[in-house]
Amino acid sequence: MAVLNYSSPSPPSLISSFKNSTSISHLFTVPATRRRSFPSFRIKSSLAVESPAASGTSNGGESPKILLQVKDLTAVIAQTEQPILKGVNLCIYEGEVHAVMGKNGSGKSTFAKVLVGHKDYEVTGGSIVFKGENLLDMEPEDRSIAGLFMSFQSPVEIPGVSNIDFLLMAYNARRRKLGLPEYSPIEFYAYIMPKLEVVNIKPDFLNRNVNEGFSGGEKKRNEILQLAVLGAELSILDEIDSGLDVDALRDVSKAVNGLLTPRKSVLMITHYLRLLEYIQPNYIHIMEDGKIIKTGDISIAKLLEKEGYKAVSAT
Amino acid sequence: MAVSTFTPIFHITPNQSNSLLFSSKFKLPRNKIKPNFTKARVFAALSDPFVLQIAETLEDSHSSSPPHLQKLRDFSSESLLSAHWPSRKDEPFRFTDTSFIKKSQIVPISTPPLPQSLNLFDDSEETQFPNLVIVDGYIVDSVSNVSGLPDGVFAGSLSNLDSEVIKKRVLDFVSSSDGDLFWSLNGVGAPDLVVVYVPEGCVVETPLHLRYFSDKGEEKESNKLPVSNPRLLVLVEKGGEIGIIEEYVGGEGEKCYWTNSVMEVVVGDGAKLTHSYIQNQSLQAAHIKWTSVRQESTSTYKLIEVSTGGKLSRHNFHMQQVGPDTVTELSTFHLSITDQTQDLHSKLILDHPRGITRQLHKCIIAHSSGQAVFDGNVQVNREAQQTDAGQLTRTLLLEPRATVNLKPNLQIIADDVKCSHGAAICDLEENQLFYFQARGIDLQTARKALIFSFGAEVLDHFPNKSIQKKVESHVKQLLVPSLSSQ
Ligand SMILES: Nc1ncnc2c1ncn2[C@@H]1O[C@H](COP(=O)(O)OP(=O)(O)O)[C@@H](O)[C@H]1O
Ligand SMILES: [Mg+2]
Repeated sequence: MAVLNYSSPSPPSLISSFKNSTSISHLFTVPATRRRSFPSFRIKSSLAVESPAASGTSNGGESPKILLQVKDLTAVIAQTEQPILKGVNLCIYEGEVHAVMGKNGSGKSTFAKVLVGHKDYEVTGGSIVFKGENLLDMEPEDRSIAGLFMSFQSPVEIPGVSNIDFLLMAYNARRRKLGLPEYSPIEFYAYIMPKLEVVNIKPDFLNRNVNEGFSGGEKKRNEILQLAVLGAELSILDEIDSGLDVDALRDVSKAVNGLLTPRKSVLMITHYLRLLEYIQPNYIHIMEDGKIIKTGDISIAKLLEKEGYKAVSAT
Repeated sequence: MAVSTFTPIFHITPNQSNSLLFSSKFKLPRNKIKPNFTKARVFAALSDPFVLQIAETLEDSHSSSPPHLQKLRDFSSESLLSAHWPSRKDEPFRFTDTSFIKKSQIVPISTPPLPQSLNLFDDSEETQFPNLVIVDGYIVDSVSNVSGLPDGVFAGSLSNLDSEVIKKRVLDFVSSSDGDLFWSLNGVGAPDLVVVYVPEGCVVETPLHLRYFSDKGEEKESNKLPVSNPRLLVLVEKGGEIGIIEEYVGGEGEKCYWTNSVMEVVVGDGAKLTHSYIQNQSLQAAHIKWTSVRQESTSTYKLIEVSTGGKLSRHNFHMQQVGPDTVTELSTFHLSITDQTQDLHSKLILDHPRGITRQLHKCIIAHSSGQAVFDGNVQVNREAQQTDAGQLTRTLLLEPRATVNLKPNLQIIADDVKCSHGAAICDLEENQLFYFQARGIDLQTARKALIFSFGAEVLDHFPNKSIQKKVESHVKQLLVPSLSSQ
């Protein structure tokens, strides 16, 4: 359980005054302790790749807002109290694409799951503010409805619940919250059919039970289908590329790119440059032992691919 | 293939019946006159007066008896002389308390339903299938309709079966000795034999719906328990195929009654039977049901059971393999939403090579004094090499004091077999609940969906989608109160 109780987070005024004022294009390292000042460094279109953030300024000149702000986040495994996250700092603006890389076991999935409120972990310190609200005060379902979506690294199988029923249940939960009338199954079919095409999934997929007997690739496509159906302001994609063949990776990346708008953001966890070439990030963070130890642009991933984690390691 | 021995292996202790003492005394030659229960009381020390009394009232309840059932009645009566009412000391009833029946005044139902009560069934839910309406064990022709069945297929009372050849063949399979005390009581009390006959090579496309109604019921306070003894025999000849839907429903209100049903099934060479069994009796009723299946070579038998009704519900299932290469699939779902006992005792006996058995048993106990009992016996005997037997049972306990007694029970003598079994008692899985929440669905809705989906794994096996939908909505409706209290 969250031990922290923030009623209303104070907007980081320092950051807003710096926004859009700086652009960087090279690898840089910020010591974790000084991370608070980091979000002021904004990447515009200086990266070699086109990114949704680049169009952030086209929005009537309105400057992008902070979507997610994580400060000094620490978390332990609830059962054993073993510390996993040891002070994570991260700031994501609307429209930005971030990637987190790091060795197996460094805490990437834990970080993602803590963001969406998984009960296996207990937050012991720090703060998470999403769209100006204290996320730690919110139930997982409310975080989802608020616009946070995480695609699971290993989605659980739910025998006996069909994909279509599950999606409709989730979609109607949102509509209820928004004060909209619920969709009937028929209305929902009409809504969902184009989404299937986006992820290149056959309609008969909808009648199968959630993730039951799905191949690795089908599970990932299904996660993205859920994202396409439910929508999200911040999508956290945990190893969405693992176990995908080339075609599936292209489909999935295309779908994610298609969902991006100038205001929507992505936080993806990956081991491979390949994905980053499809969905191009503004920032790449390296996680090690429960902390982000380095942040930079695509060159950090290239270095990693060439020389391994020792090249970017803190130790 | 691996030689496997599986634990837990339980050997049923021989029950304490005094049948040995009696076997010599009552080994009557065939066609001997019926035993006299009053005389039998002389041996009261060795007989069970309560059993004799029921047997006697059942016998007396028949005004006229169809001649072809006389033999069944005589032999059943005979075996009752040495039977005693089960107690918790008898292994097969260790966890199943039948005292609710014993404490009641048992009243045999000796007449078919009155015409005025039949209006009820006229209005009762329509079925789209050829169907037989069986009220308190009696076929009611006026509300049945089997006209959609192909030529040569028979569904109805044995006495209406024209062909003497088929009649004789059917009667050969009627057994007075396959089961326990309840089987024998049925043999004495059955007013008729309902026969379903599928001739060789005949594939029946639409399922046959057998709708069992319990008309005569008493209020709880009366302490009376009207008993009916429906009896069914299904014979699917070589290469034939049919689907049977057996549906048991109580009448208006939660009445007290006892349905003591027996079904015998013969699946011929290469024949196929899909058996859907829906037990939706009154929550004050006792429902004891026997299903005894003989499977000839390369035959397929599939059972899909959903039992939600009854205060005491017991399904005794036997499968005896009489040829090689059989396929047997049992998918059963039991639900206790009040202080109910749901009991499944299954026994699969494999004596021939290459049989495949798949058993999935699931229960939900949603009440603190609800109970489930499962005894799943699989015997793989010496000749049954290359048997592939799988058994899985999962129970969901939703209330703190809800109980389940599981006895997976595999006896493997053949050495070249593949057998697996698993038993789990679980709560809802946290990771599954979280998956719902992570997609914006609140915990209570998630719990509902998961509880329901637990049973859906069995319900999905119904071959007929309209039946599946009907049972689904019934199960959902039953689960609503127990869900909203969570
Ligand atoms: N629910 C859990 N129970 C026990 N250990 C866990 C649990 N979740 C994570 N861990 C441990 O925490 C560490 C970080 O795991 P994880 O966040 O999955 O790493 P990554 O995603 O970076 O590979 C690992 O050592 C892992 O074994
Ligand atoms: Mg991971």
